[in-house]
Amino acid sequence: MTPTLELHEASRRDAAAEVAANSRLPALDGLAVETRGLGKQFGPRVALDNVHLQVPRGCAFGFLGPNGAGKTTLIRLLLGLAEPSAGQMRLLGHDLPGGAAAALAGVGAIIEEPRFHPHLSGRENLGVHAAARERAAYGRIDGALVRTGLSARADDRVTTYSLGMRQRLGIARCLLADPELLILDEPMNGLDPAGIGELRELIGALVAEGRTVLLSSHLLDEVERTCDAAAIVDDGKVIAQGTISELTRGGPRAIDITCDQPARAASLLSATPAISRATDRDGRLHIELRPDAPVDREIVTGLLRRLLADGIAIERVSPVAVSLEQLFLAMTTRLEDRA
Amino acid sequence: MFDLRLIRADALKLRRRRGMLVLCGLLTLGVVALMFTVSGIQHATNPSQHRPAGGFMAYHDAMFVLTMMMLVAGAIIGATAGAQDLESGVFRDLAATGRSRVALFGARIPGAWTIVLPIAALAAAATAVGSIALAGGLPTPDSATIFAATAGVLAAGALSAAVSVGLSALTASKAPVIATMLAFTLAIAPLLSGIGFLGDARQAIPTNALARIGDAPGQNVHMGLVTAIVVVVAWATAAFAAGAWRTRTREI
Repeated sequence: MTPTLELHEASRRDAAAEVAANSRLPALDGLAVETRGLGKQFGPRVALDNVHLQVPRGCAFGFLGPNGAGKTTLIRLLLGLAEPSAGQMRLLGHDLPGGAAAALAGVGAIIEEPRFHPHLSGRENLGVHAAARERAAYGRIDGALVRTGLSARADDRVTTYSLGMRQRLGIARCLLADPELLILDEPMNGLDPAGIGELRELIGALVAEGRTVLLSSHLLDEVERTCDAAAIVDDGKVIAQGTISELTRGGPRAIDITCDQPARAASLLSATPAISRATDRDGRLHIELRPDAPVDREIVTGLLRRLLADGIAIERVSPVAVSLEQLFLAMTTRLEDRA
Repeated sequence: MFDLRLIRADALKLRRRRGMLVLCGLLTLGVVALMFTVSGIQHATNPSQHRPAGGFMAYHDAMFVLTMMMLVAGAIIGATAGAQDLESGVFRDLAATGRSRVALFGARIPGAWTIVLPIAALAAAATAVGSIALAGGLPTPDSATIFAATAGVLAAGALSAAVSVGLSALTASKAPVIATMLAFTLAIAPLLSGIGFLGDARQAIPTNALARIGDAPGQNVHMGLVTAIVVVVAWATAAFAAGAWRTRTREI
């Protein structure tokens, strides 16, 4: 294993530990989704391994992971589309699979990509779906079309819809359930920037109504802007979960120092125990801290003293904010690298 | 198990397939119309060589062809009804509503029948009207004959659609089911029926049971009406059970 991978492994474990320690998730009865030791195998291949997931009610929850990490498999298990090999699941307070019918009556879902009968109109497709729901679902068709901006094209055949319009129709279909929980698998695929913004607003409005949105997406920036909390899945395991701020706080910490001799400063500090790496980056000293390093203020004071003592002039010190994307990349492995 | 809202939804999905409806109309009503038209022209141009297009015998000939065509049309409609949710990917979303998968499957057979049976009834009625209207001086089919033959045509369409719905739930694809149904109807069933040493086992061949229900002349396998009805119901039940089992256990 290369040093870089070792670092990733270490930061992954530490991030997970810190998030678990700092977690402020509600009590179990406040959970929309809960899994315990959930596993799924396809022959010898382990798709999910001992997954513990807790999605609080009334929030937008991001579900992140690289391709092949097991996100869609977990969604399929929650929706009763496949049988788990191990573990337990609760959805909206109902144990699965026994309480699946009662639980799923309150769930609207888009799985992978929204599929429809292309020879039917958007309205007819919603009618077909409403037939499988409670009778009141028919009365929600017009409202769902209005809310997703599809009223004007509702009577056109779906074969004439763009991918973005199909995504909207998929969300309209979710709304037919008047759902307590929406599970949206990559709902932003095919949407233009305006459409993404509208979807973000819609998700915000749905959460404001007290609904829970479980959002699986590769658009990490969007998840960071849209969601209150998230879980990161990698190689069939949930490796971190918590609020966005908890997650990013658990990521790699770094400091940028603008000084007159960054290369010399980097070599001077590289052996410091609290530092995992010090480099000259674009004329600035970039310092990455070890996860077990003490709090920032103590470190910064010590580092600055050391640099000033060696005659290095310091102009500015700034902490580097860690984005969800940086955290994600640090914690997860790409499918190509997994072999 | 049989939910009217789901049945109406399945019927809508089929009704909107205009190409399929036109094809099935041509295979049934179109073929009957063609038979009467050709016979009528032949009789009009050479009455001494060709009998009138209608009459008792023409009725039986046309109903035999119509029964075969209903087996084909039923297979097309039934296979489409059985596979369209799976092929389009919509079944996953329907199952994710928490609705019983068996209920979702169970709606497909009556949904297919809402399309097949009117086509069969219309074609059978047209055949009866043509046979009487174009009979000239020939004897015409009586009401008992028309009733039995129409029942045979309706049963052919209903059975073919039900079996095709069940098979397409097994294969999740309509094309192989239509091909299998055609092969069985047009080649395998006549071949098996012609093998004398199979004896009474040939009563289990559905085309023989349908011929008995339709009281078709020249049947080479003899059986009672009740036996024939039991055979048809058994085939439909077996197909339903197989399709329901696969629908319930399929991971999607």
